Amino acid sequence: MQLFIGGACAGKRDLVAARFPDAGWSRIDEMGLDGAEHHLRPGAVRVLTGWTRWLAQALATEPDDDRLRERLVAALDALRNAEREARGEIVLILPEMGRGIVPMDAADRRLRDLAGWLAQDAAARADAVWYVRHGLARRF
Amino acid sequence: MAAAMIAFVSGGARSGKSGVAEALTREAHAARGGERYYLATARAGDGEMAARIARHRRERGDDWLTREPPLAFAEALATMPPGSTALLDCLTLWASRVMFEAGFSEAEAEGRAMLAAGLDEARRRDLALVVVSNDLNEDLPPRDALVWRYLAFLQALHRDLAAASDRVIEVVAGRAIDWKGDAS
Repeated sequence: MQLFIGGACAGKRDLVAARFPDAGWSRIDEMGLDGAEHHLRPGAVRVLTGWTRWLAQALATEPDDDRLRERLVAALDALRNAEREARGEIVLILPEMGRGIVPMDAADRRLRDLAGWLAQDAAARADAVWYVRHGLARRF
Repeated sequence: MAAAMIAFVSGGARSGKSGVAEALTREAHAARGGERYYLATARAGDGEMAARIARHRRERGDDWLTREPPLAFAEALATMPPGSTALLDCLTLWASRVMFEAGFSEAEAEGRAMLAAGLDEARRRDLALVVVSNDLNEDLPPRDALVWRYLAFLQALHRDLAAASDRVIEVVAGRAIDWKGDAS
């Protein structure tokens, strides 16, 4: 699993598209979190985007942040297992949104928290983590 | 004459980016000789802004040839003797003037073209050009459509500039982190 994280319009997609020209792309907010791992075909690369919108929708219906985080961790583990079984690769594109002032709105605060936890949990499971800034990438 | 050198320096508010950029500009100038220019993009619209400009001027010292370039800042670069050194501070304000004051029908395209023209002029005249900007894109995604548009525009400029630069430097607490072309 590879993780590309960076701020809005940092150039994450272009970098990933250049690095994985044959990858298939899916939006997690459109296909859903459960069963996302079934979209990885043997030997293929699958890029997963749309996490911000998924989080924003999910927190509107699930009031418990810990439960949401557990769901996401389970999904990440399922993706890791699918990678091993299919000998494929998952590429996650995640937003960095934690470097502003504390939002006034409670839902915004939750979104920011959940995005941060997701990034930490994904980074802990990723083989490589890339920080993208102004179209350039640094590997951690 | 030394070859052209373009550097992009950015960071958060009060990260010390101007100080790092000024030091880099002085360093380039010391090695190259010639003139050293300060291209100010701020305009004093109110008292707070005037005080801010005065503070910046005090901090950088008065040994700069200060210019207030037009938005098409390539025109200002074109008046400089080849081999000169220039500091443009900052691209964030320039971008907001391009988007909100200039009345362009397609501010994004105009802005990117003016930036590209400036960078071309710097290369053509073998200038050392240091450009300062603010990192604003690691906050929550903006709600307001106009703010989104500005952020996307600024980031397009940042990506263009980073791609064209010899050095890209992130500033945190006054310390420089090299992203491209580390000279050390």
